Amino acid sequence: MSNTKIITNNWGKIDPDKIESYIAVGGYSALKKFIRDLDAQTVLAEIKKSGLCGRGGAGFSTGDKLSLVATQGGEKYFICNLDESEPGTHKDRSIVDNNPHVLLEGIILSSLIIGAKKAFIYINGHYEKQKEILEMALEQAEKNEFLGRGIIGSCYDLEVEIFQGAGAYVCGEETALINSMEGNRGEPKLRPPYPTGSGLWGKPTCVNNAETVSNIPWIILNGADAYSKIGAPCSPGTKLYILGGSIRNPGVVEAPTGITIRELIFNFGGGLPRGKEFWFTQIGGASGHLVLESELDTPLTFSRECPVSLGSGAILVVDRSVNIYDLILSWTGFFRRESCGKCLSCREGTFRLHEIAGRLQDGEISDRDKESLKDILWTLNNTTFCPLGKFAATAMGDAILKLKILGD
Amino acid sequence: MRSIEKVLLEFDPETRNLLPALKKISAAFGYVSEKDAKKTAEYFSIPLSKTYETASFYDLVWTKKQPSLAVQVCSGTNCAVSGSFEVIKEMENYLKIKAGDGFNSKIKLEIISCLGQCGEGPVVVVNGKIFTRVTASGVHGILEEWL
Ligand SMILES: Cc1cc2nc3c(=O)[nH]c(=O)nc-3n(C[C@H](O)[C@H](O)[C@H](O)COP(=O)(O)O)c2cc1C
Ligand code: SF4
Repeated sequence: MSNTKIITNNWGKIDPDKIESYIAVGGYSALKKFIRDLDAQTVLAEIKKSGLCGRGGAGFSTGDKLSLVATQGGEKYFICNLDESEPGTHKDRSIVDNNPHVLLEGIILSSLIIGAKKAFIYINGHYEKQKEILEMALEQAEKNEFLGRGIIGSCYDLEVEIFQGAGAYVCGEETALINSMEGNRGEPKLRPPYPTGSGLWGKPTCVNNAETVSNIPWIILNGADAYSKIGAPCSPGTKLYILGGSIRNPGVVEAPTGITIRELIFNFGGGLPRGKEFWFTQIGGASGHLVLESELDTPLTFSRECPVSLGSGAILVVDRSVNIYDLILSWTGFFRRESCGKCLSCREGTFRLHEIAGRLQDGEISDRDKESLKDILWTLNNTTFCPLGKFAATAMGDAILKLKILGD
Repeated sequence: MRSIEKVLLEFDPETRNLLPALKKISAAFGYVSEKDAKKTAEYFSIPLSKTYETASFYDLVWTKKQPSLAVQVCSGTNCAVSGSFEVIKEMENYLKIKAGDGFNSKIKLEIISCLGQCGEGPVVVVNGKIFTRVTASGVHGILEEWL
């Protein structure tokens, strides 16, 4: 298996506060190559060919999304989604902590490719330190003429602004994110129109996850062919996985897509701590599926055929000593708090799920509760306005089906 | 202390600055009072209802005066499997209030979502100060200094 590192390559080797240390390891040479030798069309074709797809969860082709905006005229925007508030997920934060300039270079390139003169970084409201790191990075990039008017002597102009969220999980959803930047409640909007057609202030807007963006410089330097050879053919490249819970070496690791869950937990994570017995693992944060021992050899990809969706890449290992009712309260409480309240099925459904979870914890669950659980989960799965409703039903549904928390 | 006018003047009166302005007001004065919300609405030339519509949505903007002691415990998945519910129970016993109870004007105990500090959980925030790897038996030690 390939052990190419694209994003974490220079982690720990460079000083995140100093642009010189990124430049010293070849940083910003993709931008220079783009300005000197390439044009937007060629690079777009290259990104499409690489097969890079969105790391924010949905796995949409990044080349296609960039093209949708690039082909339109007039004012347009690029937004880097750094809202990252899925429980157990801190990969985008780690990118900023360890190498903010690779992200910034990716943002600059993405913006120039689509023809945007203005880009935004929408950062999680709790990420104060990361906001400061990025502010410093922006200042240094501007001093080095990688940003601002006439980027390294070319006729490209770009301004990058940081917009900080205010603590709402649903604002990671791109239309809610745009609403919140426009000064509205962070509720999702009806799609279509998609942001690529009518986004921020009604202008074509490309929203990409921070990890997705950080792949762009590498692809420009090393070519689409090299990239598409890494990992699973259906969604190539590497992925940042966040190992947590009952595991010897927790933290962020970079590995190819298509890797199995077992390899991640036992090879990269060093397995479970001594004396702990594996029970199940949850893939992709609180909104992710549960996976039992017998399914650990499933390769993780973004393909629709993949039985467990990769989501944010968080891998939570749960051992037999964990009180499952605590975890259920954690999931249901999270979605009850974070439901934006726009649609009835999610607003009420998440509330009722949490109530029932409380009774489960207290051992007071009734037959009526068990009956309504089925209805609530069906409703959340099938009738909500945005995917958050479905997310709220995923783990609970799996706990009933696979962990048999209600009996057989 | 800065006046509300001074805070508002830091922002161009465009709706894109509404959320950043509300966040700043909330942080500077502890919450967005009705008086300040009216001034904000005037400054941005928007209805008062619109100001509240936005302000009331976000966790980091308060529209009510906050108690002098605000304790928050993360119950995200990673914190939950490392024992945050035991910490919450111990806090409830010690502070003699229920988590999520909004009726006590002096103390608030709140269950919150992930802050991205996973791996160091359970995470507790007391009046903005972050504590990591908190255990039920460590609760007294943390809260003592604030009571
Ligand atoms: C409830 C919800 C929360 C989301 N949170 C995030 C997030 O925190 N970060 C992110 O990049 N994408 C998040 N997304 C996905 C975005 O809507 C969007 O698909 C993504 O930013 C696109 O970038 P990508 O193509 O690079 O993945 C979320 C989606 C939903 C439905
Ligand atoms: S599904 Fe939930 S979060 Fe999404 S729009 Fe409806 S209420 Fe809001």
